[in-house]
Amino acid sequence: MSPVSPRSSLVRNLLVALTLVGAAGTAGVYVSASRERFWVNWLVWTLFLLTLGLGNLFLVALERLVSAHWSVPMRRVPERIASLIPLAIVLLLIAFFGVPVIFPWTYPAVAHNPILVAKTAWLNLPFFAVRFAVCAVVWMLFYRFYVRGSLRQDENKDPAFTVRARRLAPAFMVVFFFSVTILAFDWISGLEPEWYSDMFGVYLFAGTFISGIAAMLVGVLSLMRRGRLPEVQTKHVYNLGTLGLAFTVFFAYIGFAQYLLIWYANLPEEVIWFKHRIDGAWQPVALLLPLLHFFIPFFLLIGALGKKHPATLRVAALSILLGHFVDLYWLVFPVLGPTPLFGWPELSMACFFLGLGLLQIRRAMGRGADIPVSDPLLSRGLEWQL
Amino acid sequence: MSSGTFAVLGLFSDAHKIVEAAQQIRPRQLGRLEAYTPYPVHGLDRAIGLAPSRLGRLVMLMGVIGAGLALLFEGWVSAVDYPLVTSGKPLFSWQAFVPVMFEVTVLFATFTAGLAMLFAFNKLPFFGHPVLHSKAIKSITRDKLALSIEATSATFDAETARQALLQNGAESVEIVPVPVWNRPLSLVGLLRTIAGIVAACAVAGAGLFALEKLIPIVPPMVHMHEQPKLNAFRVSSFFADGRGMRPAVTGTVARGHLPPAFATPEEAGTLLGNPLPLTQPIAERGRKVFNDHCAICHGLVGDGVPLLSHAYGGKPGNFLSNEIRARPDGHYFGVLMLGKNAMPSYAADLDNHDRWAAVHYIRILQRAQNAKDEDL
Repeated sequence: MSPVSPRSSLVRNLLVALTLVGAAGTAGVYVSASRERFWVNWLVWTLFLLTLGLGNLFLVALERLVSAHWSVPMRRVPERIASLIPLAIVLLLIAFFGVPVIFPWTYPAVAHNPILVAKTAWLNLPFFAVRFAVCAVVWMLFYRFYVRGSLRQDENKDPAFTVRARRLAPAFMVVFFFSVTILAFDWISGLEPEWYSDMFGVYLFAGTFISGIAAMLVGVLSLMRRGRLPEVQTKHVYNLGTLGLAFTVFFAYIGFAQYLLIWYANLPEEVIWFKHRIDGAWQPVALLLPLLHFFIPFFLLIGALGKKHPATLRVAALSILLGHFVDLYWLVFPVLGPTPLFGWPELSMACFFLGLGLLQIRRAMGRGADIPVSDPLLSRGLEWQL
Repeated sequence: MSSGTFAVLGLFSDAHKIVEAAQQIRPRQLGRLEAYTPYPVHGLDRAIGLAPSRLGRLVMLMGVIGAGLALLFEGWVSAVDYPLVTSGKPLFSWQAFVPVMFEVTVLFATFTAGLAMLFAFNKLPFFGHPVLHSKAIKSITRDKLALSIEATSATFDAETARQALLQNGAESVEIVPVPVWNRPLSLVGLLRTIAGIVAACAVAGAGLFALEKLIPIVPPMVHMHEQPKLNAFRVSSFFADGRGMRPAVTGTVARGHLPPAFATPEEAGTLLGNPLPLTQPIAERGRKVFNDHCAICHGLVGDGVPLLSHAYGGKPGNFLSNEIRARPDGHYFGVLMLGKNAMPSYAADLDNHDRWAAVHYIRILQRAQNAKDEDL
């Protein structure tokens, strides 16, 4: 770890204070606000941290899959952000206490609802838990394989790990798509179990990927500003910005395609889900989503100059991250009612989870060297030209 | 036979050296620098002082224009020029326009990128660059890299440029003269081009005809025509009765064609009154219905004198007669529904609204022929 500066320990203390204040607020929410509100908040923030972690693990595996060179000097950043995965899995385990509170398919009244009765083969608590357990185990195995293996390579300088990592990457891709689809169906669309959309898994995947890129951008830029990545140049960040631009468009495409098909078909059981989310008091949130998630980052990133300018890249990435939170908020919170709730419970739980997540990433940032010094592709990554 | 120097060309075999040479020579402002390389060399664009391309901004502008035009066009077609409600959606349904807007954006942007790159920025059509006539061109397209100083300024001196290139590591230097152009367009050349295009079209057409019609290896795209579907008036194996056209469900009533609740015109006369108010549009509608359907037998004024020849031989009712005038409105309606004597039923030809409008018009005709003093 780099030597502890006074500023660094100040940041750490501030983060700890933020988390503690947030924790106190969260306890207050549990005692005074409704249980539904507490668990819905918990779910949104856990999913936020989990998708950032998974998105970054996906970026690591994608680099391994295609043997990309340009991202090797920056790879430590996504590997470290992926450390949100174990934290989020623990938080999601705690969320199991909330499952009978917020998931309607667990209510006793299901017996009188023929649609939900027909779905009990999939929507029952034991199978739900088994699906989650399988996903969590798979994520943890791949997380340990890619992140620990990469750190171990720093010491033992074993080039065989790079080959192993590439060989295993296709398997990760397959299980990743399945597990993110299950995550989306179980933990988000399961909140309104009568609704379904085939594209919803892809929608969450698109959000996961683009917010993963955004988190990686923020991480790389902040390390660069502290002088911890002297070898990483504008061209590397430029390429990351290009990837971000591409998947900003991908997210907008998937999101709009899902909306367009449901809007066109206008089937009551499908369209009601969107009606709750774009009509009335939810309309401003629905408009904020494309603004933050598409229009701002798209126009910031489309020019060559924007992608070479750290401040522009940072604004675009933060807009995507905020947009990702708004996305999850917009997906989950309408189950509480026709008006968007945002008050002290949301703020204090935001403090708690953001503090936890940042502390976790900070802790991971201290592990190992800032660039994968023994990766056989590193020199090609440093010499790589646009 | 040159009319001056186009450029001085220096040959290099090392990509790093040509970049360094360009960096050294550029500040001396001997002339516009240009580079010819068999493969892209990183950093050479900056070294010869190439400004960032303006193509991107142009593409962005045209893309936005494309999106805007598509939105305007679709909005105008669907909401202004031909307003047609489709599956209950608003006329201006922006959601449905987005895919077309997207495509038009891409179309405008890519065409702008391609055409502006070729014709505006690469200055095509440009047959034969002077460097193509140099001795060095063979090695440039193989393994050598060339840096040229073009004679763009009045103070250009070929000898200074030659020295500058040699000092900065050029292996050999060639002075490229401005070539003498042949006339680019000759009648023979033009005819040859047209003949070539005609021949290409003929070969393509003949080939397609042969493949699709003579030897049908490539079947024409008729998937939409050949899909399984129900044809009215055709046999269909899908339904048990083998008919493609489905009979209406028992008890089906068409809009405006409620079945009559009476058995005779006399009964209709006692049961029904004219529900329509007598207004100008209804009277005009009644005149149209009367002239289209009734006047051919009953006459344009309703006097029972047919417009047909006397060979027809029927004796249509005279609406102006006292007997028919005395009948209630419902009776007329009943006759229209059920028919009378030689007159067939008009139940299928008119709807209730038009029938009642015609009754109003008959009353107007009767009153016109029996006007009282106060009507004047």
